[in-house]
Order: sequence, then C-alpha cells, then structure tokens
Amino acid sequence: MADDLKLERKDQILAVKDLPTLPKVLDEVSRLVKDPDSSTEQIAKLIAMDQVLSAKVLKMVNSPIYGFPGRISSIHHALVLLGFNVLRGVIVSTSVFDIMSKNMVGLWEHSVGCALASSAVARQCGVKDVEDVSVAGLLHDLGKVVTAVQLPEIKASVESLVKENDLTYLEAERQIMGFGHDRVNAWLADYWKLPPNIKEGMSRHHKPQLADLYPQVAACVHLGDFMVRVFEYGSGGDDNVPYLEPEALKSLKIKPDVLETILDQLCEQFVEIADLSFV
Amino acid sequence: MQKIPLNLAKPGYVLAKPVSRADGMVVAPQGIAITEALLDKLDMMGVDNVVVEGAPVQMDGVVSGTNYDLRLQRLDHLFRKHAADPWMVQVKAMLVDYFKRKVAGKSAG
Repeated sequence: MADDLKLERKDQILAVKDLPTLPKVLDEVSRLVKDPDSSTEQIAKLIAMDQVLSAKVLKMVNSPIYGFPGRISSIHHALVLLGFNVLRGVIVSTSVFDIMSKNMVGLWEHSVGCALASSAVARQCGVKDVEDVSVAGLLHDLGKVVTAVQLPEIKASVESLVKENDLTYLEAERQIMGFGHDRVNAWLADYWKLPPNIKEGMSRHHKPQLADLYPQVAACVHLGDFMVRVFEYGSGGDDNVPYLEPEALKSLKIKPDVLETILDQLCEQFVEIADLSFV
Repeated sequence: MQKIPLNLAKPGYVLAKPVSRADGMVVAPQGIAITEALLDKLDMMGVDNVVVEGAPVQMDGVVSGTNYDLRLQRLDHLFRKHAADPWMVQVKAMLVDYFKRKVAGKSAG
C-alpha cells in the first residue's frame, strides 16, 4: 500500500508536462543535439528564435555566478563557451523561475546563492567543469518546487510540519511522502536528460558520499548549500544548517584557509547577485 | 558594501564597485563619492543599481550586504539541531571565530 502510494506520487510529480513555462524549444534542441549532422549554429539559432528565453539565458550566463570576464552577447557564444549541457540546465532554471518565485518565497535566492557558492567551492578546490557545478547548485532544490506545484496539498503539510515540529524541510518531506526532494531531483534529471554529473550534484547534495560517479560535484553542492544557509541568503524552506558531511570536505581536500577564502568571496558576492531575477 | 537602487543613492555615498554601461564601459570608477551631477547622469543612462561602501540604507529582505554581527547572532539558532554533535560543534566554532574576526575588522576599518 505504502509503495503504491509512493509510485502514484512519483507519477503525479513527473506529470511535469503540466508545468506551464518549460519551453517547447527544449525538445527540439535536444533532438538537434543528438543529430550528428547538426551544428552549434543551428542549435543556437533555434534557441535565439525565442527572444524572451534568449534574453533570460544571456542574463544568467552574464551573471557573477559564471564569472566570465567579458560579456557573452550571443546564444552561439554562450553555447560554445558553456556547452549544451550547461545551457540546458540554465534553460530549465530560467523556465522554472516564475513558478519558483511564486510558489516558495526565497527559494530562488537560495538556489542562485547555492549556485554561486557551489561554483566558488569548485573553483577553489580545482574541481573541473565549474559551470556544470553551478547549474547543479542552481537546480539542487528543484524537486521542492516541482513537488509544490504538482502536489500543493503535500507542500502545505510539509510546511506546517516544519513549523510545528521544528523539522528540516527534507525530514518533513520524508515523513509525509516517504521520500525527499533529493529523490525527486533524480527523477527530474532523468526526465529532462541532464548529464550524470549535474544529476548527481542535484540528487546527492545531502549525501555526497553516496554519489556513484561524481562525488566531488555532489560535495561542492553540499558545501555550497551549507554555506548559503550559514549566510541565510534566501530560504530553502527551513532555518537550519544541514549536517556538514566530513567525507565531503575530505573528497574535496579542502583546507581551513581555503574555506575562509570562499567565505570571504561569498560575503562580497551575495551583494552582486541580489537582484538577479527574470521578472 | 551594499547594493542599492539608484533612487535611494545620495550625494556623499562612496562607490564600492565601478558603475558600468550595458556594453561593459566603466562610467564611474570605484572609490569616488557620489555627487548630484553623477546621480543625474546615471539616471539618464538607465542605471538601476549602484554598490556603495558601508550599509547606508536600511532595506528589508535579502538585498543588503552581509551583516557580520547578525551572522554571529544567528549561528546558535542555525546549528540548534547539531548541539550534541562534536564535529558540528567544531564547525560552528570555526564560523563563530570567522565572523568575530570580521566584526572586529569592520570596526577597526
């Protein structure tokens, strides 16, 4: 019975076709990427046809999260610099921005802050594919918002349980649904065919040591989430710092002075991203 | 350091970051004091925000810069579930030490 219910909720959550803002262009672009005869120019052209989407994507890739020194002025340029996987993540994130800011107050800020913090960690620790880590950070709580939209009554119960019993959002999700947003993230990453490093960053950010393939990416997002909660930049749904897994610090081989360097950077940079939105 | 909407900027505030046009050209360097003339110019150019030294404007929500005093005060609350865990107690002590030094540095500077 309990398993049936879980499966039913998974199906309900994954009925993401209902999500109003995910652009159709994404399917078409995915098809082109698979086609060996297509070029980046073709793909860029397709995205650029949706002007609202392009403007959002360019705003995001030019934000301090990605830290490119010059200005990225075209989708083609962004595609060449960041690769299709990152661009797909950016498209997903800008598309859910509206529902995110409407449904969970502070979650967008928390997500952008986590993207910034995760990529700062990756950069300082020499983890490769920093942009992929940013996207994983940006999407690390996507499961919360998709659940909130698809199953609003569950969101209400989770929120009241957080308040009444002083639980973390994750603990409350697990009590009510039998699984947390980390699991939902894994389903969503599969559903949107995000690459395995971004998937593990999203699905293993609470237990990075359980990541099969990219424990370092998961560790960066784990530490990024921890830090953004220390600064209370935005809100992840509860006011707690998560348990900081010592294994995550070990796998990143991070030293205390490096940790301070990252904290210093964040003190400065949270000011810069304060108005990054897509209204 | 605080990022504020241009309409709240007043002459005398000091720019903590240069102000750039959309194409990247710097129109006002870091470190200069804002004047009435500069405010007019930035307004005409369509600049929405400037980053200034200190925290001269009281703003609600997430827009203000990092307040080290407040961080220090909040750590007990944020770590409340981990009070019995020696490792997390150690992590918290590191952060307390960090923010204390920041507060001290700020009042010294």
